[in-house]
Amino acid sequence: MGGVPKRSIVRGGLIGGGVAMYVALVGLYTKFADLALVGEQVTLGRVLLVAPALVAAYAVTRPRVVMGERVTVGFGPGVSAGTVSGFVTGVVFAAAVAFADLFGVERIREVFVSVTEPLIDFLTFGEGVPAGLPFLVGLCVVGGAIGAFARTAPAEIRRPASVGVSAVLLLGLLQRIVPIVFVELGYEADWLYSPTTKGLTWLGAIGVFVAAAGADVLWHRAGGNARQRVRAGVVGRPATRIGLFLVLAALLVALPLLLGTVISEVLGQVMIYVLLGLGLNIVVGYAGLLDLGYVAFFAFGAYTTGLLTGAMLNTTTGAVEPAISADLNFFIAVWLVVMMAAGVGVLIGAPVLRLRGDYLAIVTLGLGEIVSVITASKWAQPLIGGPQGMRGVTKAEIFGLNPQDNPQHFYYLALAFVLLAAFVSWRLAASRIGRAWNAMREDEQVANAMGISTTKFKLLAFAMGGAIGSLGGALFAVGIGSLTPASFEILVSITALAVVILGGLGSIPGVAVGALVLIGLPGLLREFEEYRLLIYGGAIVAIMVLRPQGLIPNIRRSRELAEEEVSQDAWARDVSGEVEAVAAVVPGGTLGVEPEDLE
Amino acid sequence: MSAPEHLLELQGVAKHFGGLYALSGLDLHVEAGEIVSVIGPNGAGKSTMFNVVTGLYEPDDGDVRFRGDSIVGLAPNRITRLGISRTFQTVHLFPNMTILENAMVGQHCRTRSGVFGSVLRLPATRREEERIRVRARQSLGFFGSRLAGYREDQPAFALSYANRRRLEMARALATDPVMICLDEPTAGMNPRETLELRDHIVRMRDELGLTVLVIEHDMRVVKGVSDRVVALDYGRKIAEGTYEEVANDPQVIEAYLGTKAVG
Repeated sequence: MGGVPKRSIVRGGLIGGGVAMYVALVGLYTKFADLALVGEQVTLGRVLLVAPALVAAYAVTRPRVVMGERVTVGFGPGVSAGTVSGFVTGVVFAAAVAFADLFGVERIREVFVSVTEPLIDFLTFGEGVPAGLPFLVGLCVVGGAIGAFARTAPAEIRRPASVGVSAVLLLGLLQRIVPIVFVELGYEADWLYSPTTKGLTWLGAIGVFVAAAGADVLWHRAGGNARQRVRAGVVGRPATRIGLFLVLAALLVALPLLLGTVISEVLGQVMIYVLLGLGLNIVVGYAGLLDLGYVAFFAFGAYTTGLLTGAMLNTTTGAVEPAISADLNFFIAVWLVVMMAAGVGVLIGAPVLRLRGDYLAIVTLGLGEIVSVITASKWAQPLIGGPQGMRGVTKAEIFGLNPQDNPQHFYYLALAFVLLAAFVSWRLAASRIGRAWNAMREDEQVANAMGISTTKFKLLAFAMGGAIGSLGGALFAVGIGSLTPASFEILVSITALAVVILGGLGSIPGVAVGALVLIGLPGLLREFEEYRLLIYGGAIVAIMVLRPQGLIPNIRRSRELAEEEVSQDAWARDVSGEVEAVAAVVPGGTLGVEPEDLE
Repeated sequence: MSAPEHLLELQGVAKHFGGLYALSGLDLHVEAGEIVSVIGPNGAGKSTMFNVVTGLYEPDDGDVRFRGDSIVGLAPNRITRLGISRTFQTVHLFPNMTILENAMVGQHCRTRSGVFGSVLRLPATRREEERIRVRARQSLGFFGSRLAGYREDQPAFALSYANRRRLEMARALATDPVMICLDEPTAGMNPRETLELRDHIVRMRDELGLTVLVIEHDMRVVKGVSDRVVALDYGRKIAEGTYEEVANDPQVIEAYLGTKAVG
């Protein structure tokens, strides 16, 4: 137990103030000022107002390593440090608001377009500048105290409290989805979500908090054994696994029926990125080849599908038939597309065989750009329509279901593709091929010396990755029906990579979760749409700092990242807590010391 | 093609890095079923010779023949498939793969199941996978219980140093080689482990029927295992023969200890 150095407190507070100003300048406060989460008072804007001070205080009261020992911060010193850091945040923020008011909002607005009178009003709670500022500071102080509380309070209190608050905020944010599910299931949702504010009612919020916190308390009271039994059951027993699988399958099938067309459309988008993520995961996650030009396969899949299924080119004089074209059924064309994309994967892979790491990344980035440029070029206009693109990609009608007109049907088509791709990835990863990729990722030269043809397996990774990526492209084409170059820009590559990294490199469930978080959440919360890139950036930075192995890590990756701690740090750390955590990550984890070597 | 009288034959092999001649005109041969030790001071070109034999380096001059055919210019994985396997001077495992997986990688070049077999888990693929597993366990079993049992599923980085060396050898054995090249296998091992390893080297020949080419600094090991000893210095062979002959060769003594002071 120890205190927090004064410098850290002040620095944390200042950083919090800076972040708060940034959030104000990009316009998040005014945007979300009226998005009610709980009752009328707790809006997303106000939560964001508290957040910088809260997070800063949470960071300030983190455990520190002093002379090789982990020192946690006590409750008393923690809360006072948090309060002070929150106060600093508040003062910085309030000073900025006062400055804006004195200098003139209109003049600042010439540079920072989000600085408006409503923003000042929001930040001063409608009281005007001198009168409202103490409230602002006060709120930051409270935020700091909460942040410190969430870090330093006794575990029995802070854990359920954090779980409860997170659950309330999450349900508040999901106010578009959850009520729909209730209604579809035939339940009343008005007690939980207020019809007027759209957010949770106070009664509902309290109910959710109690339920979530209670569940957490019960879970932990049940003790380590029960938890381990559940985990072992989930992982180990076949019956449990089959049961879980069936539940998951039922959920996946029922989802669009429960959620309606609007959200099904978002889910369809998510599925496209799950496909891209799965494909890229083979290249980057399994084989360790950093490909920044993955959009090439997406574009190839989409345009080839268009050409093979009788799409027409858009021109100023009307629809024109492309230079090369066929009129196949989608379900025949898609297999041709996938096979051709595997060939393109080999073509793209061949010139970069000798490149590794950064060099490979740069060259693939270039190759991806080339494909993007080609899609928009005059040169390729007779084939794929250039800037105007093509339209009339055939409908993938099957059993009377039509994915192009109905998002729910599109979801089912996408689900089928995703399951196929996931199955292929899973089987490959668990095979001789997966082992070869793995060995190559760990040490290319040694893998070669141990009899693995690195040339062949690199090309195979590009081919498989390309095939699955093109499946995503085909799905996209048949879902939207028309293609323009704007859909095939570098952002697709970056998003796909972000999905893979966020979920955890080499992890199939990770890809699904990554796509849900990065594509699903911004899609569901339309208000976030214009902040999508900010969210991507923030999410990637956060994941790299807090959980570099990803949200649902591949077991080998977590070993990789735990390795250093196991061998170097573990001995120096708090033995009871940290070593257990590390041992949990490393199956059968020893600390690199074996009994016989101690003889 | 000359008749394969030697299992491995190096003829006038030269390899230089810029102005540094790591190997210059090296002649060397290894007969089937022999244990040949290569000794020499640091920088004599021993490891470079291994890298040339196993295809990591291409020689600038000369020829390397294995079973009568030239293997110059072949990729390392091809040479491994032909039957030359190796370990590295500094241990190079796949640290995050399990011990069993490390050994299973060795079987890669002896198996062939492809994408379709793996995705569909065809009966042939399953049988092959089982065979890989059995063969990998066998090669781990060469070192007794040290790498067997519960250890199989541990990541390789969790092993002790000596066991990492053993695992590297087990992985090399799993490639079903004709000849195994061991680069300083006892480096960093304690005396007891060194003695144990000496027996392992002899067993590789006697039980597994392998030809062994070993770079070694520990003279007790060299004396204990070698049918023939080759001494290198400045990238050339300076002596060859039984341990006693080489150990008493004035040029070898000079290479290790320097010239006798005059007067």
